[in-house]
Amino acid sequence: MQRAIRVVAILLAVGFLFALIMYNTMNPPKPETLVWNQGMTLGNAEEAEHFFYDYTDIMCPYCDKFALAMDEHLEDFKKEYVENKKVFYELRLTALLAGFHPGEAAVVENSTNSASAGYCAAEQGKFWEWYGWILKKLNNDYFSKGIGDSATATEHIPQLDVKYFTEVGDKIEGLDGEKLLSCTESDEARAAIGKNTDRAAKIVQGGLPYYVFNTYVSPGFDGNWEVEHDWKSAKMLFDAGIASKKK
Amino acid sequence: MDFRKIGKKVYNFTTTVADRAKFAFVSIGYLFRKPRYLVVFILSLFVSLYLLSFFKDGTGNWLLLCSGLPLGAKIEVLGRVALKILENFADFYGILIILMSVLQALTIMLLVFTWRNREKDSAIDGASTGGIGAIFGFVALGCPTCGISILAPVFTAIAGAGAIAVAESVSRVLIILAFVLLIYTVIKLGYVSFVTIGAKKYKEKKHAKSN
Repeated sequence: MQRAIRVVAILLAVGFLFALIMYNTMNPPKPETLVWNQGMTLGNAEEAEHFFYDYTDIMCPYCDKFALAMDEHLEDFKKEYVENKKVFYELRLTALLAGFHPGEAAVVENSTNSASAGYCAAEQGKFWEWYGWILKKLNNDYFSKGIGDSATATEHIPQLDVKYFTEVGDKIEGLDGEKLLSCTESDEARAAIGKNTDRAAKIVQGGLPYYVFNTYVSPGFDGNWEVEHDWKSAKMLFDAGIASKKK
Repeated sequence: MDFRKIGKKVYNFTTTVADRAKFAFVSIGYLFRKPRYLVVFILSLFVSLYLLSFFKDGTGNWLLLCSGLPLGAKIEVLGRVALKILENFADFYGILIILMSVLQALTIMLLVFTWRNREKDSAIDGASTGGIGAIFGFVALGCPTCGISILAPVFTAIAGAGAIAVAESVSRVLIILAFVLLIYTVIKLGYVSFVTIGAKKYKEKKHAKSN
């Protein structure tokens, strides 16, 4: 009898935990629809039929698998989703990793500096070009060498100088590196990113990347750093987002 | 405090566990030679590997299955998870998943054996301890770097995104507990199986002699 009670108690506890996980996964908080940063969007919000919000942190490897595949296929995305399916896409750049790992100085600094630099590149109207450049740079310098590239990477990305994110040289036409650096170090950029991060913290459930594509909401990304594989995974998410509106 | 007594107790406990582990290994080896139990082990291993790989990166795959994607795309999601099983061999995290699956499959094989041999009390004990171990292992999965874990939505719903750091720490503790509980269950059920196998063999010999 005692054994039966014990088994029933365990089953009830496990059932409650699963119910809680499933309830929270299926009932996420609703995101703000007001655009955070026009410079980090694709498409026209006024004509759009579908609204995709992508919460990310440049130092998050899972976010970057998705972002690299998207960068490689940016023209395909624009044609297939933005033009044909009238998608409005907004990248919501945050420093959430700094909040997830408050005791790790390298993570806090890199996350904040990279997001601030992204904000400043958007100020000069060159966000997407800068984003592609920094994603490739991080991939070449670290992720492709197994540094900080996964959940179990033995080596982590060290604390990077702020210039790592701003020394674009002549690689991006029209982006002023000096201006980018001073802006990245400014209180204004940090405050803007801090505000984004606070807002994202109220929405993001279950870690990064966090996609809110119409009413389809999903944390995490199933990628393996192979661009074509990851692009296929990304397209599945986009299609699930579009299908969520039809439902 | 009598350290000699404590030392002796620790020594006795360790040697008992080590002895029982040896007996458990012997009974596992015996069951592997029986095709029906080998099939139970292989099937359980595959199911466990599949489920753990499915939730390896959080609830993303589950959400895709629940989405409005066409059936073909959902089948593709399931197929990709099957391929992911092979990817597990390439990294440390994947190796942990494989080890946990092996322990879960061993537990199920030993449970089936003890249940079939009317050792129902031991089977229920094993099922509850092993079950808790399996659940702990399952919810502890995820990517600590980005805060992705099965547990994370629960923590963030209660205390916001900052709680992801707590979810990570809890996940690490749970993964250790999962291994401890599963190893304990395998040793315990393996020992019970060893005794059962011994008794069975003795009865068979006795029966053969009397004939």
